[in-house]
Amino acid sequence: MNYFKLIKEKIFNSLPILLLYFFSFYHFQIPEVGKINFFFFNFQMTLIYFYILKFPDDLGFGNIFLAGIINDTVLGIPLGTTSLSYLTLALFTTYIRNATLRPVMTAEWFTFIPALFFSNLIYLLVINNFSNVSFYYIELLQNTFFTFLFFPIFYYIFSHYQKLISRN
Amino acid sequence: MADYRDDFIIAIRYALLKKGAKQKFSLFFLIILSISIISLDKFLPKFMAPVRSILNDVVYHTSVVSSQPTVFRKYIVKTSEQHYKLLKKNKFLVSELHYLNQEKFNNVFLKTENEILKEALDLSNNNQFERDFSISARVILDQSSPFLKSILINKGTNSGITKGMAVFSKDYLMGIVIETNYLTSRVLLLTDLNSKIPVVIAESNTNAILEGTGNQQNLRLSYLPATFVMESNKIIFTSGKDGFLSPGIPVAQTYLDKKNKILIKLLGDPDQASIVNVVGGPIKREN
Repeated sequence: MNYFKLIKEKIFNSLPILLLYFFSFYHFQIPEVGKINFFFFNFQMTLIYFYILKFPDDLGFGNIFLAGIINDTVLGIPLGTTSLSYLTLALFTTYIRNATLRPVMTAEWFTFIPALFFSNLIYLLVINNFSNVSFYYIELLQNTFFTFLFFPIFYYIFSHYQKLISRN
Repeated sequence: MADYRDDFIIAIRYALLKKGAKQKFSLFFLIILSISIISLDKFLPKFMAPVRSILNDVVYHTSVVSSQPTVFRKYIVKTSEQHYKLLKKNKFLVSELHYLNQEKFNNVFLKTENEILKEALDLSNNNQFERDFSISARVILDQSSPFLKSILINKGTNSGITKGMAVFSKDYLMGIVIETNYLTSRVLLLTDLNSKIPVVIAESNTNAILEGTGNQQNLRLSYLPATFVMESNKIIFTSGKDGFLSPGIPVAQTYLDKKNKILIKLLGDPDQASIVNVVGGPIKREN
């Protein structure tokens, strides 16, 4: 019985990592509504930002790196691009975590803007300088905007989930 | 000011080098590793090619497994739609049956006449192209990203696929193979921004380059003569000037949109393609 509980606990604690890998392998996309796809956002970035900010031990940097490599392979862009972008996000998030005295959701939401900016800047720089791939800039901008916009929803979902697993 | 700068440097150094209780690697190490991989990928492609090929095969197959729930959902939706359409069609057919029975003799005559006319116009056979070398492959992944509009197929170098081969879906050109692995290949769709193929516009004999825009209902033609005026309902064929594609393959068509603007759309539908033909040899027109 204890053994079963231990496995259950392990699975629940590893869920963020599993989600990170799952969404790196599989790019979830909801069909477009009208001309704009409102649900086209970067889930991995939200996940990384939240967990590095709140529960850094639940999401290892090694996993973030590997998820980025997988993402690059699936999308066919230069290897290491997404990893570097995610790690930049993680670096910025770690800095925010260290610099924040009293964490407030609104403040964390707005610090997500520079974090996304630097992360995507690295992405753009690497793609532009290390590959011949052309960009859909509008889609990237749209993706970044909706990633930022949906952050509070995921903030509450993840916080609620963490409360649930810590209670059990 | 100096204190603030010192604090900032300390915080950044702490973020880069400090490992958490459960972290195995520091951020600094992983960032350096990422930069090394990017540099190796760019400057030593020969060294990275086998590594990338193995990684691609493993990741693509895992990716296929992870996309199965969506495939299943699509299958359910498609089957339900087909069932609904079938029911509707059945009702319609029942109501038409009586009328058709009455028109039976007339229809037989029309059918015969139609066959004769088709034969005269050489339209009876839909397979206009005969391929010297064709490989059928299944689309295993059709994930769109902001960067590449591409699909993955389940045939690779082990089946004889090489870079630059043309990919067809239902007799229409869909894309070109841009990456080959042992078991899989990546096909760059004609809708992708990076796709540029030389074409010729029907009846005008005007050459141009057909470029993808990310939207299959709105492709772009560049290098057109300054005096050229686009007309609707013109078929666009490959000109074969790139040396890869054979001339005369129908690719796209001009059409009038709701705002009476002439746009270019793909003849094939990459989103609906599940089985594709990868063609290696020259394509001959049947006479």
